Amino acid sequence: MELAPVLVVGLGLPAVALLLGLAWRARDGRVRRVASAAATTSTDAAAVRDADALGLPAAAFGADATLVQFSTEFCSRCPATARALGGLADEYDGVRHVDVDLTHRRGLADAFRVTQTPTVLVLGADGRAVARIAGAPRLDEVREVIDSITGRSRVPHHA
Amino acid sequence: MSPTTPDPGAAPTGPAPGGATAPPAGIDPRGPRFSAAITSVILLVTVLLGVGGLATAALVLLAAQAILFAWGAFAGVARHPFGAIYRALVRPRLAPPAELEDPRPPTFAQLVGLVVSGTGVVLGLLGVAAAVPVAAAFAFVAAFLNAAFAYCLGCRIYLLLVRARVIRPA
Repeated sequence: MELAPVLVVGLGLPAVALLLGLAWRARDGRVRRVASAAATTSTDAAAVRDADALGLPAAAFGADATLVQFSTEFCSRCPATARALGGLADEYDGVRHVDVDLTHRRGLADAFRVTQTPTVLVLGADGRAVARIAGAPRLDEVREVIDSITGRSRVPHHA
Repeated sequence: MSPTTPDPGAAPTGPAPGGATAPPAGIDPRGPRFSAAITSVILLVTVLLGVGGLATAALVLLAAQAILFAWGAFAGVARHPFGAIYRALVRPRLAPPAELEDPRPPTFAQLVGLVVSGTGVVLGLLGVAAAVPVAAAFAFVAAFLNAAFAYCLGCRIYLLLVRARVIRPA
């Protein structure tokens, strides 16, 4: 058995995996502001509201904002995310959370270019996405987005 | 609470279009991570045997791990031997889990592990010795990330495979 390559790979491979994990954790769940989420397939498709492209009943949407969560059956983090976002939506009168299962819905996954779950869109009152989150969302950042939509300001503790 | 107690918290909170079925009985989420830790050690040893020049030993170990992946993928993670070790030796020493988890995501990850390690075994049998440590290295990274960071392979690649038309959901 040659020792040099064994030592290099034996130390290097776990180190690479560790760096990959740390890089993933640093990015996962960050809120990204967006213009619109649904793919534009024709010239006037930019006018398609994200809310319409989802094909959900109007009652699923909140008056001020909607947290649209994309999940699949093979996503271990989605149920916990659904509970957290559902609880967050309950803090606001005009905010609702809706969980969309993409396991059997390739068309919707293509339209919204979802590559991982959970992926969350924050829709404003007009049904257009203002923010997108890939991974388990950071709730404080989601709150900031909702507060900016609803115009609700939180009084800092020291003020 | 037994490991087969259904988790009421795992029920979908919103509408589930597309005819989603009710999730199966929940499992202790720490079980798959414990299994992934053992799996990552086996796979790292496989890689090291391969790069160290012991090609046959690496092939045999990767084949054994592929059989374990097949066990998890087809019998379900709840019946995986490492899961049994977890329940017999580790879980009695721990507090009950805060919540139970759907067994389908870790079962999907076992299937991905089977495809990756199985490809390495087949190529190894065909004489491509380098494929054995390479396949083991990819599977190691996934198993390590699962064990150390609760990384969920199904979260990251199921929709990618669906959208690339590799998986065609019913």
